[in-house]
Amino acid sequence: MPDTLLDLSNVTIRFGGLTAVSSVSITVREGELVGLIGPNGAGKTTVFNLVTGVYQPTEGSIHLAGSSLAKLKPFQITNLGIARTFQNIRLFPSLTVYDNVRVAFHRHLQNHSLQSLIRSSNFQKEEAKLQARTLELLTLFNLQRVQDEPAKSLSYGDQRRLEILRALATKPRLLLLDEPAAGMNPSEKTELMTLIRFIRDTFGLAILLVEHDMKVVMGICERIHVLEYGRKIAEGTPSAIRADPKVIAAYLGDN
Amino acid sequence: MVPPKSQCLLIALLAIAALISAFSGRIDAYLLDVALGAGISIVLASSLNLINGFTGQFSLGHAGFMAVGAYTSAMLTTTLAPKLLGQTELLQWVVFPLSLIAGGLLSALVGVAVGAPSLRLKGDYLAIVTLGFGEIIKVILQNLDAVGGARGLTGIHTHTSLFWVFGSATVTVYVVWSLLNSTFGRGFVAVADDEVASEAMGLNTTHYKITAFVVGSFFAGVAGGLYAHLKGYLNPSGFSFDKSIEIVVMVILGGMGRHSGVIVAAVLLTALTEVLRSFGDYRMIVYSLLLIILMLTRPQGLFFWPLKGKKST
Repeated sequence: MPDTLLDLSNVTIRFGGLTAVSSVSITVREGELVGLIGPNGAGKTTVFNLVTGVYQPTEGSIHLAGSSLAKLKPFQITNLGIARTFQNIRLFPSLTVYDNVRVAFHRHLQNHSLQSLIRSSNFQKEEAKLQARTLELLTLFNLQRVQDEPAKSLSYGDQRRLEILRALATKPRLLLLDEPAAGMNPSEKTELMTLIRFIRDTFGLAILLVEHDMKVVMGICERIHVLEYGRKIAEGTPSAIRADPKVIAAYLGDN
Repeated sequence: MVPPKSQCLLIALLAIAALISAFSGRIDAYLLDVALGAGISIVLASSLNLINGFTGQFSLGHAGFMAVGAYTSAMLTTTLAPKLLGQTELLQWVVFPLSLIAGGLLSALVGVAVGAPSLRLKGDYLAIVTLGFGEIIKVILQNLDAVGGARGLTGIHTHTSLFWVFGSATVTVYVVWSLLNSTFGRGFVAVADDEVASEAMGLNTTHYKITAFVVGSFFAGVAGGLYAHLKGYLNPSGFSFDKSIEIVVMVILGGMGRHSGVIVAAVLLTALTEVLRSFGDYRMIVYSLLLIILMLTRPQGLFFWPLKGKKST
């Protein structure tokens, strides 16, 4: 069995009197495609915010490949190899498509402020290398055709894909996708499923996916965690989840 | 290795500044004064553009940083340097530029001191903190007898020439431009666009904001030094809130985060106050009216055009 990459153990977070996530344990193994589902307000995005350091857990611990993420800032966690997308797309609207991706290479930059001023040959070599890698990524998603447009002018579907691409530029070991299929039509959803599988296979990373669309989740995830009112009520393969009476009662609907 | 194009341009512009400066004796004194004022405005506006325009931090304290630089460099050239050196030949070519840098460095240091604790604040809140800082600097200077207090500081050598002003302006624009035009530098704009997303992409937003504040306040300090040695006289009231607003207006009018637009706006607004002299007492009314009209018709800035991608760095 592959090694555990992400390990949340008994994670709880309270906002005042509200317990948003209560003693939840989730694991994601290397290269695995895991789904996280649950009704609205179940705490799915809160789990993402806990993993990426936006919130600190009140109790419990989160580890990435054995090292604790406690007290790390979001940018430090990204630098350890976790990248994410947002439920309501958060691109850099005034930057071009090209620059949106380029900026995300930050984690791998050797040159910083002073080198930008001196512009040595090393600096120029690195910039040229990054330019090539940015174009390579853009071409992979067929976004090179709009590379010079400001990100805000892109179509909704392209913005979603650009956001995923930008996350990939940080070269993560774990990619968190927060409702990537939201607002997509059926054919776009089918495309997205192909894309997510393609990403996992090409980049060899693990993906944790929050999604409401059951067709997408059941179609691509190897394992699914189910949350309800901040608690984990089930975990298993798509077929096991589909048959779980607790899940059916809470989420899929009594039938 | 051939130096990059941008550096060739920098050197060429510095050479032109020196060349024009050599003939500055033939230029009309009034025109020269306006030109020097415009050059200092370029330094101020370009450096504030890094903070307010590119990094999206709303600072209203630029006059404060300018004051720190102005008084530091003036004190160095008037009191410290003559005692140590005794001769004036060295003053203009060695001590004066060093005093400019010293003023800039102290200003940058103050920039960190103000910036580090307050950069967690956003928008209006940061504006209020920096506004307060500017006023504090002004009041301290008014009560500090060692620098002349409210009477002002007199007897400053007028070393500021076209070379120093346009040399500084060129360097400022180069630094801001080259800082922005790199993979690292695009991060400033990313921070301005969306801090949460920037952090999620591995960008240390605090580091970016402090860098912007340090570089911005350094050049504000240099501009202060140039101003001091241009006028030969400093008064704390010259660094009030009005001055900060004036620089902010240049940045907004130039189109926040546009290099050339802000330069043109700095020159234009400096020239405009001179052109409007014929209106006498109504000058500031006309000036303000023009600003209102401009903001109503071009809220995105006079020289704003959609950002097109720059692949080259």
